[in-house]
Amino acid sequence: MVSKRKLFVASVFVIAAGLILISFFSAEKQIDFNADVKPILNKKCISCHGGVKQQGGFSVLFREEALAATKSGKPAIIPGHPEESEFIKRLKSDDPEERMPYKHPALDDDEIDILSSWVKQGAKWGDHWAYLPVKATELPDVDDQWIRNDLDKFIYAKLEEHAFKPSPQADRATLLRRVSLDLIGMYPSEKLAQYYLNSKDEVKAYEVLVDSLLASSHYGERWTSMWLDIARYADTKGYESDPNRNIWAYRDWVIRAFNKDMPYNQFITEQIAGDLLPNPTDAQYIATAFSRNTPTNDEGGTNNEEFRTAAVLDRVNATWEGLMSTTFSCVQCHSHPYDPFKHDEYYKFMSYFNNTRDEDVAAEYPLLKQFNDSLTTELDKLTSWVKTVSSEQAANKVKLFLKTGQPAINSTTADELQNAVIGNNNIALYFRNNAVARLKQVDLQGIDQLIFRYNSNRPGGKMSIHIDSPNGPVLASWPLATGSAYQNVYIEFKKQTGVHDVFIRYSNPVLGKSEELVVFFDWFHFSPQLPGKGKPGYAAYKKTFNDLLNAQVPTTPVMIENPAAMQRKNHVFERGAWTSKGKEVQVGVPGSLAYAMPKNAPQNRVGLAMWLTDKRNPLVSRTMVNRLWEQLYGVGLVETLEDMGTQGMAPTHKELLDYMAYQLIYKYNWSIKKMLKELVMMATYRQDSKVSEELKEKDLFNKFYARGSRVRLSAEQIRDQCLSISGVLSQKMYGPPVMPWQPEGIWFSPYNGAKWVKSDGNDQYRRGIYTYWKRTAPYPSAIAFDGASRVACSPRRIRTNTPLQALVTLNDSAYVDMARHFVTRIQQTGEKTAALKIAKGYSMMLYKPISKNRLKIFEELYNKALLVFRKDSKSASAFMGDPQKSVKAEDAALVLVANAMLNLDEVVTKN
Amino acid sequence: MTRDELNAYKLVKEAQEAQLSGVTRRHFLKESAMGLGALAMGSLLGSCGNLFSSPQTKIAYDPAHPLLPKSPPFVGKAKSVIYLHMAGAPSQLELFDFKPELMKMDGQDCPPSLLAGKQFAFITGVPKMLGPQASFAKYGQSAALVSENLPHFSTMVDDVSFLKAVKTDQFNHAPAQLLVHTGTPRLGRPSIGSWVTYGLGTENQNLPGYVVLTSGGSFPDAGKSVWGSGFLPSVYQGVQCRSEGDPVLFIKDPDGMNRDLRKASIQAINEANEQQYQEYNDPEILSRIAQYEMAYRMQISAPEVMNINDEPAYIHEMYGTQPGKACFANNVLLARKLVEKGVRYVQLFDWGWDAHGDSPSNSLNIGLKNKCRSIDKPITALLLDLKQRGLLEETLVVWGGEFGRTPMMENRNGAQNPFKGRDHHTEAFTMWMAGGGIKKGFTHGETDEIGYSAVSGKVDAFDIQATILNQLGFNHEQFTYPFQGRPFRLTDVGGKVIHEIIA
Repeated sequence: MVSKRKLFVASVFVIAAGLILISFFSAEKQIDFNADVKPILNKKCISCHGGVKQQGGFSVLFREEALAATKSGKPAIIPGHPEESEFIKRLKSDDPEERMPYKHPALDDDEIDILSSWVKQGAKWGDHWAYLPVKATELPDVDDQWIRNDLDKFIYAKLEEHAFKPSPQADRATLLRRVSLDLIGMYPSEKLAQYYLNSKDEVKAYEVLVDSLLASSHYGERWTSMWLDIARYADTKGYESDPNRNIWAYRDWVIRAFNKDMPYNQFITEQIAGDLLPNPTDAQYIATAFSRNTPTNDEGGTNNEEFRTAAVLDRVNATWEGLMSTTFSCVQCHSHPYDPFKHDEYYKFMSYFNNTRDEDVAAEYPLLKQFNDSLTTELDKLTSWVKTVSSEQAANKVKLFLKTGQPAINSTTADELQNAVIGNNNIALYFRNNAVARLKQVDLQGIDQLIFRYNSNRPGGKMSIHIDSPNGPVLASWPLATGSAYQNVYIEFKKQTGVHDVFIRYSNPVLGKSEELVVFFDWFHFSPQLPGKGKPGYAAYKKTFNDLLNAQVPTTPVMIENPAAMQRKNHVFERGAWTSKGKEVQVGVPGSLAYAMPKNAPQNRVGLAMWLTDKRNPLVSRTMVNRLWEQLYGVGLVETLEDMGTQGMAPTHKELLDYMAYQLIYKYNWSIKKMLKELVMMATYRQDSKVSEELKEKDLFNKFYARGSRVRLSAEQIRDQCLSISGVLSQKMYGPPVMPWQPEGIWFSPYNGAKWVKSDGNDQYRRGIYTYWKRTAPYPSAIAFDGASRVACSPRRIRTNTPLQALVTLNDSAYVDMARHFVTRIQQTGEKTAALKIAKGYSMMLYKPISKNRLKIFEELYNKALLVFRKDSKSASAFMGDPQKSVKAEDAALVLVANAMLNLDEVVTKN
Repeated sequence: MTRDELNAYKLVKEAQEAQLSGVTRRHFLKESAMGLGALAMGSLLGSCGNLFSSPQTKIAYDPAHPLLPKSPPFVGKAKSVIYLHMAGAPSQLELFDFKPELMKMDGQDCPPSLLAGKQFAFITGVPKMLGPQASFAKYGQSAALVSENLPHFSTMVDDVSFLKAVKTDQFNHAPAQLLVHTGTPRLGRPSIGSWVTYGLGTENQNLPGYVVLTSGGSFPDAGKSVWGSGFLPSVYQGVQCRSEGDPVLFIKDPDGMNRDLRKASIQAINEANEQQYQEYNDPEILSRIAQYEMAYRMQISAPEVMNINDEPAYIHEMYGTQPGKACFANNVLLARKLVEKGVRYVQLFDWGWDAHGDSPSNSLNIGLKNKCRSIDKPITALLLDLKQRGLLEETLVVWGGEFGRTPMMENRNGAQNPFKGRDHHTEAFTMWMAGGGIKKGFTHGETDEIGYSAVSGKVDAFDIQATILNQLGFNHEQFTYPFQGRPFRLTDVGGKVIHEIIA
């Protein structure tokens, strides 16, 4: 008995010693917050203790919150002392009312151990990888002759780790088509294609091919397609009547920027803050249209401030989602439940965008006037004269006003109206007889002139402007000139000081008691008179000023900052509602990422751009390289392009992502072309895309990249490729959007007589990027292939595979027309037999000879069609597009085959 | 497809669906389409809103067959929906909400209490009150009030539930329509029909699952965005079926191509794709083959179904159709046909209900009466016809606008409008629902004596959306889709099922 007892004691001792040993080791183990703790907190705690809800006054979202006193008055986590921490005690409690997670299954022992050790080790917080600056990454120590550059090493290491073998290089035809569609979105010149296909030195030829494609002006068009989804570019404003918007100069700016390989940091800076750069060029102003692509609402009776605010929120969300893969819009209503962003930080950030002159007015002010060369010369002469007779500051003001019409007070903001209305509450200020309106708090310091734009056709009226009250001191009074159109007039008065309410009055004895609306205002601009009065040449310069002011030139909506006196205050919106303004906030970026803000950064959009493009900004470079990867492989290294935060998908190759981000900044100086070249030079990229049985089973979605990716072409690529193949693609670049063939009845907006008028000649064969994009009724065939509607920033297109897509490429007249042109091109080769023609057509599409099996299929189809069209010549004529014209049955049959071939999976897919 | 075929087909598909659930990574991913993180998020019960305690409804999304019929999480009473939206917002005061007190105030200045702190789309200054511009009577056993503008519909009141106290916070057409159909006044979210087809698929694979029909000479004010799929895959956007041109875009073969040639051409494409599959082994190619087969079947069946000419004369008479025209009556008849053929969600928009009084066609005495005449027979016939076919019980019919109209006459820009009209009104308006498990002959909600404010039974767009989803078998709080790092739902953070009107 005794011995047994001893044995028992001994074994208990051994077990206990073992347990101590285990706990000793587990206590020793260094806990990693991100890898070990955060997943548990996110899964088990944060839904009640963080972000939206902070039950018991306890939150585990931020360290300072987690260590702060809870409702009980004591902190729940005491670093170094798990045994004293309520946070740990509650996990172990037996009382169901005490035990956490409340009314949910208890944490398992491993989880509790991790949390305890973590508290013991000091409850250190760790940042999510994507919020830490990009650092140099060590290259994996692998070597294989398959590897072509350093990027491949990351892929190879992972393949090796999982016992996968990379695939061999794809054949030349496949690779030619792949890299062309990827870099220029269409086929290369025949000469370049033949050079690559026939070169003796494939390795050298491939690099020449890549360099040539990157140098092609079509490169910019292809990558602009991608960017316009981020920029939510469209040719209309959105909402009810969805009227036209002339903003295509921005699209052209993007194409040019990509083509000249503008460094990505500059690319972003000019779009965010081009207007605030010193002496901005037209191009820099136009770049800021990035933020003016927001939908605006002209519907009768809408509140301009509501939709101005919506546009500002949209700018914030687009900046985060598009440039930084972060779902910041969550923070609009409350602190982010998972990522380190606080509610008021949303509004601090919003303040960067909240002080521009755009106010959702129908005319889309501020507009940049794009003067031609001679007007620009005139403007330059005028401004240098102003500089000589006055100051550089005065010259800049003159220039800003003539180029952008700013700063001007939109008449829609007038209030204290008597016998006056804001038409439909949002169009403009309208006067009846004996009208008064107030312009609130106008900065009149040093001002002795009002320039305003209005229209009235009732003679006999007099206007006057008063300060401080409707009957206050008169600044000026004058008989109101009338005319049939809007006009700009100058009213001069004595130099004023201070900020005042300005009252505008109108009366006209001729009108008597008429209720008619007789004066229509557009905007008011208070400024000093043109300096240099009395100096030689003044009259001529005054005329130049007037000519430039009234010049009819193309315009583009741009960003212009409010002058000091017009600055809006910035508030938190309670629960995200713009109508419930909470505490006032100052401009700034979220505290968790403030480390990337340069010390000398100004508190405006220039500062914002400096922060975005600072080398320490952890998100901008990672987001861009991830996007480039996604464009080539169909899926990003982080699949959720819209979210790199803790709730986004984990990267498949984090080290590679970081390595590329580092290269983009430090090695390539933000050059997208250089980065892309490195990407397409990879062995990984060049692999064959055939799916082996092993890969089908183990890695169907190719996340290890043991083969090339097969990706359905984008809406633009499908159109552009088909135009390339059929030989009708217009080489024309830039300019107003075009209207290729579209079925009747697609446009039907209320209160909008705009019609889709099919473009003539070559304009109907322009690349997809130039197709007119109407937000509420986008080009149907593009939408069928998952084109984004562009009402908001779309960081990622989700590809679908639907019968409606088949119907587009089978039946859309645009595609049937292209098939006819394709056949014309085939016929021009002079091939004699149907089989040879089909074979020729196939190789025109895919750069490779047709297989016997495929040829047989299409020969049979050809013969069937030939039989039908021979019997029925009317159908043949109709099929060829003109029922009146007699056609060869052979041609019609070949078109039918061409139409079918253009629908092949291998044609609509990048193999 | 006959009903038997349809049933057999559904059985096969259900079996496939069961087999598919959660097998491959793709399903795992596509279930949430935004990927792993998002899915993890779903399982965390986390969200921006107050969804923390709600389990999420799992939708088996098969990218190769995205519209296969699926079962809802619980048994719904309705299988399909016909939503009749009167775009422009019909006046409840001339149709269903009879206010004798308002008649007494006719022509008086609007009391300041009704104007203070309120914002209207067009009214400025002090408008005059405007009495009802139609006479009313009580109908049916339920003694529901209906105006003389809808004489036929007045015979159907014992089949419908009226919602007399619907509210909104949007007083402009486009945002208000977006709110009704997508749950937000801004652009970019999926419409109800997209959610429903995402969740339930559709029963007839040869037809689109979500069909949109428009009449009245214009699209609804928010354009195609009100039938957009937002962040859901684009396959779930509404497919507009048109009365002129192709009934479905690109459904017609090119001129001069006959059916046999089309068949041969699709066969050739698919045979070549089959070879491609042999070479590449990528299942996505099989999916493309399936899509081309489906496109072919759709080409055959859609034009046939879309053609209402084969309906008997008495049916045409009943609906008051106008052959060959893009009119509401034709669309309503077509809606019935589509639902009968297994289409899940049919959305009608009839534009031209914006009776401001700024022109005869936009007035209460002329324009509104004409609009009412154009819908009165069709909506009546729809209910009768569905009933006689035994389809009303499984078809939810919803009628309404995007907001109501003011008890005041509109004085646009401070001057009285030349014709009798009313401005946009957010505080109270009337909608009705019928069939699909909705109470018969019932009225829920009440407005004050002049029809300005709702006093009881208030409901809003989210409540109506929640009720539609409920009738189809979904809990609106659990039916979510991960986007931008959180689960989104149609009803955002609002919505209560209107249990009062559920039978």
